[in-house]
Amino acid sequence: MSKYILKRLLGMIPVLFGITIISFTLIHLAPGKPTTLDQALNPKVSPEIRLKMVKLYGLDKPLVSQYLDWVKRLCVLDLGRSFGDNRPVLDKIVERIPLTLAINISSLIFVFLVAIPVGIKASLKPGKGFDNFTTFLGFILFAMPTFWLALLLMQLLCITLGWLPISGIKSLDYEYFTLAHKVWDRVWHLILPVFVSSLGSLAVISRYMRSSMMEALSQPYIYTARAKGLPESKVVYKHALRNASLPIVTIIGLSIPGLLGGSVIFESLFALPGLGRLFYEAVMMRDYPLIMAEVALGAVLTMLGNLIADISYAYVDPRIRYK
Amino acid sequence: MDKLLEVKNLKVEFRVEDKFIHAVAGVDLQVNANEIVVLAGESGSGKSATALALTRILPANARITSGEVVFQGRDILGLTEKELINIRGKDISYIFQEPASYLNPVYTIGSQISEVIVLHQHKSRKEADELALGLLEQVRITEPKRVFFSYPHQLSGGMNQRAFIAMSLAGNPKLLIADEPTTALDVTIEAQILELLSQLQQRMKFSMVFITHNLSIARRISRRVIVMYQGKIVEQADTAAIFKSPEHFHTKELIAAYEKIGRI
Amino acid sequence: MKNNPYLICGIFIIGILSLAAIFAPLISSYDPSQIDSRSLLSSPSSAHWLGTDSLGRDLFSRMIWGARISLCIGIIAVGISTFLGLFLGALAGFYGRFIDTLIMRFCDIMLCFPTFFLILAVVAILEPSIFNIMIIIGLTSWMGPARLVRGEILSLKEREFIQAETAIGCSDLRIIVRHLIPNAAGPVLVNATLGIAGAILLESGLSFLGLGVQPPMPSWGNILIESKSTLGIAWWITVFPGLAILITILGFNFIAEGLKKVIG
Repeated sequence: MSKYILKRLLGMIPVLFGITIISFTLIHLAPGKPTTLDQALNPKVSPEIRLKMVKLYGLDKPLVSQYLDWVKRLCVLDLGRSFGDNRPVLDKIVERIPLTLAINISSLIFVFLVAIPVGIKASLKPGKGFDNFTTFLGFILFAMPTFWLALLLMQLLCITLGWLPISGIKSLDYEYFTLAHKVWDRVWHLILPVFVSSLGSLAVISRYMRSSMMEALSQPYIYTARAKGLPESKVVYKHALRNASLPIVTIIGLSIPGLLGGSVIFESLFALPGLGRLFYEAVMMRDYPLIMAEVALGAVLTMLGNLIADISYAYVDPRIRYK
Repeated sequence: MDKLLEVKNLKVEFRVEDKFIHAVAGVDLQVNANEIVVLAGESGSGKSATALALTRILPANARITSGEVVFQGRDILGLTEKELINIRGKDISYIFQEPASYLNPVYTIGSQISEVIVLHQHKSRKEADELALGLLEQVRITEPKRVFFSYPHQLSGGMNQRAFIAMSLAGNPKLLIADEPTTALDVTIEAQILELLSQLQQRMKFSMVFITHNLSIARRISRRVIVMYQGKIVEQADTAAIFKSPEHFHTKELIAAYEKIGRI
Repeated sequence: MKNNPYLICGIFIIGILSLAAIFAPLISSYDPSQIDSRSLLSSPSSAHWLGTDSLGRDLFSRMIWGARISLCIGIIAVGISTFLGLFLGALAGFYGRFIDTLIMRFCDIMLCFPTFFLILAVVAILEPSIFNIMIIIGLTSWMGPARLVRGEILSLKEREFIQAETAIGCSDLRIIVRHLIPNAAGPVLVNATLGIAGAILLESGLSFLGLGVQPPMPSWGNILIESKSTLGIAWWITVFPGLAILITILGFNFIAEGLKKVIG
């Protein structure tokens, strides 16, 4: 098992390199190379920004040394300074991580609490009422542009019914609340964003669970379980489920890029100060250092997510754990 | 001889897409107490379907359309699921063809055996584990503790099958149904398993229905042979009689198949 | 063959959509940029079937033209990604070893980047335009088809009849045409269909953020920008574009599902 982990960790290194190379290439798509300084191709990029870019990325030096400089700086987590307010990019990112993390983790928990039982129940009677209904619902959820659903729900729940707040992470008079009220206020503001960001994964994961369960239930060891005289509930929830849930573990890790991508739109819609919104603002302002850092960060987080998913799978499946 | 199991006119139907296949087309057979019977036939003759029908653990697309299965005086086909659970694994238990596939890969051998003991003998987990170790010794596994904590993928086919036999005996069955238990094993291992089953049967006095397509096995372990062909029983006789003067053409085919390989 | 409700439904939906997109100039009663200052933000009526937006532009016309743009972007983007993916996947599969490792590593690395982040970043750097969007989506979605094709080639290489054919001296081209294309075509087609749906969804998200199709050119995504400020006042601006996206994606998903059933 530890050999497996080591192998995976070593395998991460070329990927990390690749991420830096691609991120670096991205920067060089930007206008501001010495050769294009004369071209007024991009009126939005003012001469000041171009000069900043040249200085920041040493664009006047040969490409390879530029790349190496950048990687050296990355290693010490020097991500440069934001064009917007000249604060270190690292600081701006770090202060936004907790919220995005909180939302995405809550989202994943919610998805698991709902999608797994739904998937299991659908698998027990395939082709019948519950399964057909949830399949249909799943299709619709999967096809729905979630920002649209967010808008509709905002219309319904926030404006028409007034049950939930329309934006932000705290109410105006937050400062005067008791501690308990403060906690509830936070939660209340996050209910709708968490719910909406889970919807995409809900359809996918319940579908996966369903097919995984159906696969497990068709295996020979299920005959054995029944032949032993186990009640059907034990056959399903002890013997089948344990096998069916193995692949689901990997899906957690694989959902990360989707969640990160989605957070851009959600956080903007709901005015939540998270990483997604930061990215959006950076893009709007053409704040290149910030954009680059977030893109690279997104990739690294995805890679870590995959790694955790793989290792978790190796851990829970005895066939891999005990080779 | 006491009648342990009596099957009358059993019919089993499988639904495949839009067609119905009559896997078992009217089978009458009988198993007495303390007896080993070989149920022989080629693939598709309906022997496995018959076996699974006996405790109603057929797959979802199969149906028992008629017949009676009387076990110790009760018609199994008329029992509720709750009553059936009390018979499966306890009075009637099974051994299957590929032990590695038929054992759950994510639980240890030991826990899968203990499960039966906890369920049917109502012992605590600790007591059940002790008894399970004992069973592993009885099936002549030399390192019972190591096997107890192993997962199926870590053991050889023969070892897994021994463990499976231990598991099937954990409920003190009166009838053991072995569906081609040695077909997937090497010849030498097969011989060991056959001998093991023979000795266990002599000692514990359960009845066994041994399903196979290799008639020569009958000569080694049983006194009675039932031959199935296309869902029906075509010949039933004592082992010696069947080999001396087989009547049905299929019986002759089965004998010939193994004579050629030189196994008999 | 047509016992395939998904396929029929999907083709029906996308068929109508395509017709609407192709015949946009004939169907839309108004020019999509035409401003009617007398009916700003008016609800659906006989004059304006789906109402008007805050600049008095007819929503129905805008949506028909938006269909044209969204479909175009979807199809061309997927065309690029499929072509690129097939090419790289074939290279990796055929030449194996170093090239295969290189391409697959590249694939793994690209898959690490959250697509939306990457596209947003490139759009920020290169400025949004329909052309850019199509290319970028195409360049970031080739990984799926590439893996499919490579997988198909690898499994074909294993199959014995291919080894036999190669031994006899069949040219690579013949193998490609006779075996690879029929086997890989299905999954690649399914992937492409889902890809178009994904591309349309991506484009609508981008446009919604103001980084996709730029006004006054209408796209369902950028029409929805207004809904943020007209929530509660003009429900038609929110409901119709979103519904259009939903139904379109649903249509493509249905087709993909139906295709999967055809492939088997």
